[in-house]
Amino acid sequence: MGEPRRVMVNGRALAVVRQPNAIYAARDICPHQGARLSDGHATGTALPCLPGEEIVFGKIGEILVCPWHGWEYDLRTGRALINPDKIRIRTYPARIENGRALVEMRVVPKRD
Amino acid sequence: MKTQTGVIDADAHNYINSMEDLLPYLSERWRTYVRSSGMQMPPVSHLPKLYELAARRDAWPPGGGKPGSDPDFMREQLLDAWQIDAAVLNPLVGVSGIRNLDLANAVMRAVNEWVEDVWFSADERWHASITVNAYDAEASAAEIRRAAQNRRFNQVLLLVRSHAPYGRREFRPIFEAAADMDIPVGIHFGGGTGNPITAAGWPSYYIEDHTGMTQAFEAQLISLVCEGVFQSMPSTRVCLIEGGFAWLPALMWRLDKNYRGLRSEVPWLTEFPSEIIRRHFAATTQPMEEPEDPAYLLDIFKMLDCDRFLLFATDYPHWDFDAPDKAIPSVVPDDLRQKIMRGNALKFYAFQNL
Repeated sequence: MGEPRRVMVNGRALAVVRQPNAIYAARDICPHQGARLSDGHATGTALPCLPGEEIVFGKIGEILVCPWHGWEYDLRTGRALINPDKIRIRTYPARIENGRALVEMRVVPKRD
Repeated sequence: MKTQTGVIDADAHNYINSMEDLLPYLSERWRTYVRSSGMQMPPVSHLPKLYELAARRDAWPPGGGKPGSDPDFMREQLLDAWQIDAAVLNPLVGVSGIRNLDLANAVMRAVNEWVEDVWFSADERWHASITVNAYDAEASAAEIRRAAQNRRFNQVLLLVRSHAPYGRREFRPIFEAAADMDIPVGIHFGGGTGNPITAAGWPSYYIEDHTGMTQAFEAQLISLVCEGVFQSMPSTRVCLIEGGFAWLPALMWRLDKNYRGLRSEVPWLTEFPSEIIRRHFAATTQPMEEPEDPAYLLDIFKMLDCDRFLLFATDYPHWDFDAPDKAIPSVVPDDLRQKIMRGNALKFYAFQNL
């Protein structure tokens, strides 16, 4: 499973996670206390269930866990698993083309 | 100050004078056993309480017996004196400390039958919690289903210092039975089954015992939430009795914070623990926390963010009794005061006759 790597693009730091069938890119900063998400772990998570039921480990490879306080983010949406409406990381569309990782970032031109 | 009317007392204590009082409710086997062994009432605490039986000096009945043992005197000194419309009796008997499970279960049932026989017949304002044996959840569940047929039994009584935290699955039958009978589970100050009574070991003094009781309440609340009791049984309601409430906001913050990083360990929790606490818990007021500036309490109420959370209680006949007309400071607005003194308990316990 691909672990996150820190990549600089246009002066912006990204945490890029490459999986066998997908690639994800997000700003490399946790909105909580500013840790580099690229120092974290790309993994899955325990899916919701009732007590006593078998705990299923799912979303494998789609969860980025912050290295400091363990906040979990869904790499497909950027939303935190807890409080997803309020807590999210900036993600960018990414794809593999001809063996190269492409990340779409809108560049806002400077006025001057 | 004029006494208020229509108060509901969510925690008062009736006492059994001795095992002799329970003999009529025991089978011949256990009657003989208790008599021949000279068995004493099982205690619910470990340290001398400075005041005998932790009682107000004036609560000893003139006709003899323990404080809280005489229904007529208690009616006069509690219900009539303070115009209390209903009181929930919590008989404090160390049933869970009786190691012989069959005997413990026999005493459990005897206590409930004694309550029904001696107290419910004495005044219709008496309601009561069902005594159970925490060491035998199945037997307790059966007893809850039996006793709660009488709706004057409107709660299950567990003592906060247990042999293991109540969220653990061994206790589920108790919570399932309470939910099935549509009554809350009350967790009351006291108890002791061998574990040290503070999280740091044995203290020396009753003042430490009493003040540190909040640790046990915290442990129970954390356990019930984290073990997913309210996900398994969404209708479960829990009342924290005599544990205070000012510590709750800090615990909610701490638990919510940890939930953000540790959620995957307890995947049944799909919302913040504080939301679960606000929805499923209530707490009695006594012993009311008394900050130097009473207005701080308003801040605590705001942090709890739940105006149905608190239920007034006197804790009669104990030495730390809260008087209905004095305990809630004057800074508390009237509408909230009304809810605390009556309205919240009315809803929480669904009294049939009020």
